Amino acid sequence: MTTLLRVFRFAFQNIMRNFWLSLITVSMMMFTLLSVNVLVALNLVADRAIAYVQDKVEVSVYFDSDVPEPRVVDAAGFLRGLEQVRDVSVITPDEALERFKERHARDETVLRSLEEIGKNPFGPTLVVKARHPGDFPFILEALDHPQFANDIRDKDFTDYQGVIDRIRETSDRARAFGIGLSVVFLMIAMLVVFNTVRMGIIIHREEISIMKLVGASSAFVRAPFLIEAILLSLIASALAVLVVVPLVALIDPGIGAFFDGASTIDLLGYYQVNGVALFLAQFVVLAGVSMLATGFAMRKYLRV
Amino acid sequence: MIELHNVSKVYPPNVVGLRDVSLHVKPGEFVSIVGQSGTGKTTLAKMLFAEERPTHGRVTIGGWDITAIRDRDVPLLRRQIGVVFQDFKLLPRKTVFENVAFALEVSGAPSRRIKEVVPQVLKIVNLHEKGRRYPGQLSGGEQQRVVIARSLVHRPKILVADEPTGNLDLVNTQEIVDLLKTINQFGTTVVLVTHNRDVVNALKKRVITLSGGEVSSDEEEGRYKV
Repeated sequence: MTTLLRVFRFAFQNIMRNFWLSLITVSMMMFTLLSVNVLVALNLVADRAIAYVQDKVEVSVYFDSDVPEPRVVDAAGFLRGLEQVRDVSVITPDEALERFKERHARDETVLRSLEEIGKNPFGPTLVVKARHPGDFPFILEALDHPQFANDIRDKDFTDYQGVIDRIRETSDRARAFGIGLSVVFLMIAMLVVFNTVRMGIIIHREEISIMKLVGASSAFVRAPFLIEAILLSLIASALAVLVVVPLVALIDPGIGAFFDGASTIDLLGYYQVNGVALFLAQFVVLAGVSMLATGFAMRKYLRV
Repeated sequence: MIELHNVSKVYPPNVVGLRDVSLHVKPGEFVSIVGQSGTGKTTLAKMLFAEERPTHGRVTIGGWDITAIRDRDVPLLRRQIGVVFQDFKLLPRKTVFENVAFALEVSGAPSRRIKEVVPQVLKIVNLHEKGRRYPGQLSGGEQQRVVIARSLVHRPKILVADEPTGNLDLVNTQEIVDLLKTINQFGTTVVLVTHNRDVVNALKKRVITLSGGEVSSDEEEGRYKV
């Protein structure tokens, strides 16, 4: 225990005596972690954006206004039985009329036209959601079944596949860029750690030679440098938490608003639930990589 | 205590440091190793604490063959051998107390033992009242006494002093030599590497003379004759 405390003390002394270099090292480590967190957030937003858009993909099946309700319910039951269908909701003619009025509440012309017709022109509607966007052709084909085809006035399918593909393409590019940036930062951080340790060894050359002369074990000489790498990683991780969490809290409402208030893209909630594990994992990887760089530096410059 | 058997040291490409040196130092002996510069005195001294390894031959310390000592065993050896150098090797940003304590700290000694041992050794070298001073605030002789105090904290069986008076004036030289004699009287084997004629002649102890990497003379109560 005493030895461990001394190793920590020597490591702390290394950091303080080499303050500016330690500061640069921590900064580079922090940039690495920030880029990793941008990548994490980007992945999350992209995945959830795709899920959000996928959730919006639906087919509206408009029945003739004279089709009796039981036949619409039958059609809904048929669709629910299909493996490709996630959800089917039935909109009655009255509900359809209400929605139409709400949607065009400010459009006098449309409302007047509706009054001129004198009756509810809307028939029942089925809103069908598929499990995957690729399932819609199959569902549309199924609705051509003679049992229902004559009752259906129109089918309205908005092709969101293009939107999804664009999101995926953009997020993939951003992800590749993010990974590249993280790797570059990580490599720079490794080089800086390597250099910090090298400088530390040079600065403490005299001290190290005396340590060896008076009987310090090789492990005791090396341990402070490894602990220093861990401490610097810990400081960088803590600073990354202090930067990332408030930043996420700041941009989270903006992202939510962008997706029409959808609560599915809850970046802050994600960090609240997974933040500890996420930052712990980042710290462990960063400390591991830093210790590796320290190991290389000691192997090259520390002869004990 | 110390046994060198046909020890040679050859540095690449073909520089001979020591040539077929055999000698035996008994426990509690005070031995001066003399010779001109480049005759292998320091090489021999460094072999005693495994800073150098022989190219041929065998080195035994206290019955422990350290010819091919494993790296992990070197610290154990060095805790049994005190080493004093001409250039002191003190840490300027540590006080006298901290410099001496450093040897115990890095060896994993508990704090209680450090607080007990350091004042004792500082008293031996008569620096117990200057524990809070920094090396820069001490004279050359005092700095060398700090080094000797540091070398004593492990209660070594052997003290190797390589030109300990090389940077000192006459008065300080005498102080250091007296201190080494006192330590020797406590039972520690002292190996003094020097080319100070007056010191060697005044000691009236065993003198081993090296010449061209070989032992040219070995006298029980010898004199400096280079």
